[in-house]
Order: sequence, then structure tokens, then C-alpha cells
Amino acid sequence: MTGKRLGFISALILAGMCILPLGLGIYPQHVLIVSLFYVMMASSWNLLAGYTGQVSFGHAAMAGIGAYTSGILAVKAGIDPWIGVCAGTAIAALLGLGLGALCLKMGGIYLSLTTLAFSQILHIVIVNEYDVTRGTMGLQVPGLMAEYSKITYYYIMLAAAVLTLAILYRMIHSNLGLNFRAVQNDEVAAKSIGVKVLQVRVLAFTVASAMAGFAGGLYGHYLLLITPEIPSLDLQFNVLAMTVIGGMGSFIGPVIGAFALNILAEKIRDYGEYHVLVFGLVALVVARFAPNGLLGIWRRFRTRPHARSSNRLQD
Amino acid sequence: MFAISLMNGLVMGVIYALAALGVSLVVGIMNVVNFAHGELYILAGYFSYLFASALGVNFVLAMVIAVGLVFFLGLLIEYLLIRPTYGNDMYSLILTFILSIVLQNAYLLIFGPYPNKPPLWVQGATDVFGLFLYGNQRLAALAAGAALIAVIFVIIKKTWFGRIIRAASQDREMAELNGVNTTRLNMLSFGLGCALAAAAGVILAPVFPVTPTAGVPVALTAFVVVVLGGMGSLWGCVVGGLTLGLVENFGAAFISSGYKNVFGFMILILVLLVRPSGLFGRAKI
Amino acid sequence: MALLEGRKICKAFGGVQALRQVDFVVEPGTIVGLIGPNGAGKTTLFNAVAGTFRPTSGKIIFDGADITGLPANAVCRRGMARTFQVTRPFAAMTCLENVMVAAINRHPEKPRSFIESFAHEKLSFVGLDEMEGFEARHLNVIQKKRLEMARALATEPKLLMLDEVLGGLNTQEIGQAVEFIRSLRDRLGLTVLWIEHVMGAIMKAAEQVIVLDQGQVLMAGTAAEVVTDQRVVQAYLGE
Repeated sequence: MTGKRLGFISALILAGMCILPLGLGIYPQHVLIVSLFYVMMASSWNLLAGYTGQVSFGHAAMAGIGAYTSGILAVKAGIDPWIGVCAGTAIAALLGLGLGALCLKMGGIYLSLTTLAFSQILHIVIVNEYDVTRGTMGLQVPGLMAEYSKITYYYIMLAAAVLTLAILYRMIHSNLGLNFRAVQNDEVAAKSIGVKVLQVRVLAFTVASAMAGFAGGLYGHYLLLITPEIPSLDLQFNVLAMTVIGGMGSFIGPVIGAFALNILAEKIRDYGEYHVLVFGLVALVVARFAPNGLLGIWRRFRTRPHARSSNRLQD
Repeated sequence: MFAISLMNGLVMGVIYALAALGVSLVVGIMNVVNFAHGELYILAGYFSYLFASALGVNFVLAMVIAVGLVFFLGLLIEYLLIRPTYGNDMYSLILTFILSIVLQNAYLLIFGPYPNKPPLWVQGATDVFGLFLYGNQRLAALAAGAALIAVIFVIIKKTWFGRIIRAASQDREMAELNGVNTTRLNMLSFGLGCALAAAAGVILAPVFPVTPTAGVPVALTAFVVVVLGGMGSLWGCVVGGLTLGLVENFGAAFISSGYKNVFGFMILILVLLVRPSGLFGRAKI
Repeated sequence: MALLEGRKICKAFGGVQALRQVDFVVEPGTIVGLIGPNGAGKTTLFNAVAGTFRPTSGKIIFDGADITGLPANAVCRRGMARTFQVTRPFAAMTCLENVMVAAINRHPEKPRSFIESFAHEKLSFVGLDEMEGFEARHLNVIQKKRLEMARALATEPKLLMLDEVLGGLNTQEIGQAVEFIRSLRDRLGLTVLWIEHVMGAIMKAAEQVIVLDQGQVLMAGTAAEVVTDQRVVQAYLGE
């Protein structure tokens, strides 16, 4: 796809996204806002798993850090939510930097273990520090604007998602993106041609954590009630399933996955709380048989003749 | 307070060591971390509850059946999910994580959110050294756990199978060159790792009833023990397990009970800062 | 002054002593062959020198500086590049992208257009320019070796370390490959340290040959000296 055509299509989709909620009721608007939150989460998680080959189980925890930082600052110190969201993003980035520097030198498995432990600990701390966090009751926080308006929240989340995606796109198509992919493909080879592997990995983890913190901060001020549901393994699983099913390692895969699964989850909810189980089974099958997700299946279908010619070259 | 924390710490330490042995075995041989380890622990608890309490099978037999079933499930998981991912550690992490969530939600659907508990093996309590009364069931769990660890050590240090396991975790390629069928070895050790989780589960379920998500802290603790002891080290599991059990229970008794599991995390951070390869770990080649 | 010098390099894996007190010297502008029976420690020596792992003891001096224990990426920046015995291309990236990764880390400040033409130039130098749009996993073994060579050259090294690049080639192709490696030295002024099993090729191209056996230097000398040495003959026959 040429740059011009890509720009045109993006502009078209963006225009569509701007008009989309106008005719809809409150409930579909809510579903779209939550979908946009998941777009940010899944796309930034994809930067880790899809582009640098490291699996974090603490992405939801980072969103929780963003949400609770901003929420607590607003409730306890009366700080403006917008400044709070920035603070939440910064703290998530710092924690990402610390955790990344701590365990990435030991290799990928350690990151997975440590981030899983981190999310569990965060959960325990939130539940125990009732005075500050209101535990499982949830912390009531002010909104982003004086008068609550769904449609304004929609546009804020849309702008945030576009910003996140734009930064990710620039990164992936820069020198850094090449280094990311080199590290994911073969760490030893990357090192041998001068890639600072540890630095690249920690950077990716820090950026992804900051993005999760940003998304979480906005989400908290949208929900107006911050609960341990945000930094939970269930939310972490949703993000992972969206990325895996949509297409890990492709730019647009997680975006599609986020919309598809979130809207589908609402449909399944009509029958009961089965969506996690359903998504789990689907994700299991996809990760096992189609590691590039739905997008990968579609691409393979579309480019089959080309793949055949390149196979011939191999012989 | 001191003595009872010591006792609790020992009981938990032995169980942690047992759960961690399963993780360590699989990491050492296959370089795969099974994130569904805790859910298999829980599954064994449910099985033993189902057979002993609901179907009235003798409790020892129920435990044996439970461990056996989880062993076969482990073989199946390895065959269906893990085997195709060799050479790509990332996918085995993702797959076993998804599996753990699937299992948790399946338990919730089948057994509901309520705690389930197989029958106690023994009743009553014993006066320990005239210091305090301690539940007989916990003492029995301690004895069973310690005995099982001893058996595993004998198997790994003394038998033919153990030699192969040690060889493969030292140097996979070398073992392969010397005619070890690593495909079958992987399957067997994954199954064995799951069976060890199950063994910990059936021993502890009468004391700590199982719920759909009760496996998460257990697995996390096992992971911390494995990092603390050094990935792939068996002695590390025992020393790490006991250390963690004691630290958690003393911490809970003297500092804060709500933060019991946080102490383990502190240890994890400390180990990563000071000695990332763990107490008994080999430095990475 | 020597470009690369190893002083009493030792490496132990667990209880196994893979390298014992290895001393060697590589003079600038030469092609040096590194030979020895299987398991002699040739690749281990490469890894220790290139920073894949730290030697247990000993010193490595490169271009006048002590590089012992530096990570591989830092060693690379100082001008040492290598290929791997079992090739390690970035499988899901195109050939051009493979080489671009090396180029951007050598010239981080240069614009994308420069990087692309720079990488293209390296690919055509090894004769892979027609494949530049294909993902590396589609290449055959020989093409993968060439790709690694292009990648290594794109780091603009002073010293190029080759680990068995002739495997799978026929006699005629071996001749061409030897010519190619010679041209690296003659046209680009590179110093080459070269592990190889094909003795004939080493004898044709290398000015100096180092023989490793059981983790020790058995001898070092010119190709002619080495082939006639009784100890070398025995080490190979005893294999």
C-alpha cells in the first residue's frame, strides 16, 4: 500500500469514526468508548508481544496504576484530572522502566513472571489500603469535564486512541521499529550486529507501560468509579485475547480485535457471563493454529499466489 | 506466636517446595513456564473432593486418581499446546496463560464460586512440644509433603529416568546426541510437573479449600520459589520454598496479615537485584 | 601491532573446560584460518572473543583496547563482525531489512534513504540484490550465509569473523567463495578470522593458520607449516 493511499484510507476511517456515534443511543456509545480504551491497551501490548517478543502480564496493572494515581490525586488533593492523567502516565512509565531494567537482563520468562507477580501485588495493595483506595468498593472520582457528556467522552477517547496509534505507527516505522523486530526475530544475531538489545527491550516496555497508564487514567475518569477490576487478570486477559485473535505483530490486528471482541462480549453478556470462557477457547485455538491471528489468515488468503512464487524461489 | 508461625511456615514451605518442584522440572528441561500450574493444582483439589466427598471413594484412592488424571491431562496439554511451540518461548507463555484463564472460568461454571473441600484425613489436634495445639490434618500434610519430596529426590538422583532428566536439563543437544528421545522426555516431564502440582493440591485441599481462582497465588508463589532457588535447581526449590513459607508466615504474624503474599514479591525483587540467577542457579550460558 | 590478541583465554561450562589458556594473534590485513577437529573449541573461542559470553579468565585485546567481557553489541561497535555456524537471519524480515538493522546501528544519524541504498549496496556485493524484498525465511542455506555476510559487512567492521561459510558448497562454488573472501581483504582492506572445515580452502586463502585441539592451541604458523606438522596430522587422524 502506498503512503498516499494509506493516508486517504486512515482519513476516511477517522471521519467515519467521528460521525459514527451521532445517531446512536447512550448504550452503544458506551460500548464504543470502552472499545477505544481496549484499542489503546491492545495496540500498546502488541508493541511488546508482537514487535519485541516479550510477554507482559502486567499491562492491566499499569492501566490500574494510571487510573488510581489520577483518581487518588483528584480525590485526596483536588488536582485537576487532566494533570492527574499525565501524572498517572508518568508513574506507569517509571514503574515500567524499573521493572524492565530489573528483569529483562535475565530474559523474557522473567518479565512474564515478574509482571504477573506485580499485578497480583497491586491487587492486594489496593484491597488492603482501604482508606486510600476504597478497596473493592471502588473509588469515586470526578469526571474530565464539569458536565458529564457521553459524546464528549467519546471524542476524547477517540483523540487519545488516535494519538496512541500515531505514536506507535511512527515508532514501528522508524529505526527503533527495525531494532524491535530484529530483537524479536533473533536476540543473539541482533546483538552481534550492534543492537543494544537490553536498552531496546526496556524502552519498549517503558513506552507500552506509559500508554497503558494513559489509557487507564482516562478510562477511570470516564467510569467515575475506579475498582480493582481495572488492574485485574481478567482485563489483562481481554487485552491479550484481543491482540492474539486480531493479529499479533500487525499494526491493525489489535485494533480490529479490540472492537470485535468488546462488541461481541456485549452480545454474549445477554446469555450470561460466558464471554471470557468463549474468548479463551477461541484465543487458544488461534494462538495454536494461526499465530498471526485473523489478520494473518486474511492476508494469507489474499497473498497466496505471491507466497507460492516465493516458495519456488526457495527450491 | 513465634512457634506457631514457625510451624505454619514449615507446612507452607514444604507445600511451596512441592508445587515449585513441578515448575522447576519443566523449566529445567523444556525452558517452558506453565502458567496454568496453579489451575492444575486446583483441579486436583476438585477431583479429590469429587471422588471422596461426592462419590464416597476412599480418600487415599481419590487422591491417587486425582493425581493420575491431572498427569494424563498434562500429557495431553503438552501434546496439543506446548509441543508445536518449541523454539518460540513466547507462545508457550501466552498459551499457558490463556489456558489458566479458561480453566478458571470453566471451574466457575462447573463448581461455582464456593469453596470446596475434600474430607480431612485425620481429626483433632496434637499438642506440639507442650507449646501449642496444632491441627492433625496440617501435621499430616507436612509429613506427606516431605515424604513426597524425598521420593522425588531419590528418583532424580538415583534412577535411570532421573539421570536422563539431569542430563537433558544440563545440555539438551548433548542428551539428544546420546540417543535420548527428547520429544517423549518433554511430554513425560511436563506430565510429571503437572502431577506434582496435583500432588500439592490434594495434600493441601483439606486444609485450604479450593475455589476457581485459588490457584493464582499458589502458582505465583511457586514461580517466586523457582526464581529464588534458581531456575531448574531442585535443591533451590526446597530451600526457596521453606524460606518463602517462613518469611510469609512470620511477616503475616509480626508485620501485617493482609500483606502475606507481598513479602514473596519483595523477595523476588531482592533476588533479581542481588543475585538474578537465584540461590542455586547456574549462570546463563 | 596486532589487531586482535587473545591472552590465556579460558572458558569452562560447568565442569567441562572448553578453552584452556588460549593465546593467539591476528595481524591487521591478514586472513587467518582457525582449524581443529570437532569439539576443539573453535566456535567457543569465537563466542568468547565476540562477546556472546564472558571468558572464565584471560584477556582479549582488540584494536588496542581491552574488550574482555564487553557485550556483543559493544564489541560490534568497535569494529568486529561475525557470522554464525548455524545461520541466524531475522526470519520474518526482508533481506533488505535484515541488512538495514546493521546499517542503522552503524549510522544512526543518517536518513532512511541513505540506509536503504547502503543496505542495497551490501546485498549486491554478496549477490543477493534480487532477493532484497523477500523475507529471509524463504532463502536457502547458502543464501542465508550470504545474507549474514552482507549484514556483517554493513556494520563496517575492521575484523570479520566467519564461522564455516563453505558448508554445502560444491568444488566450483568453494573456489568462488575463496576468491570472494580474498577480495574482502584486497578490496575492502578487511582482516578475516575464519573457522573452516574445508582444509583446501583455508590452505589457499589463509596466510596464518591457528590449530585448536581439545581447547588448546596446538600450533600456529603458515599454511605450509601446519599441514606438514606431525602433531596436527595426528590430531586430525585421531579424530
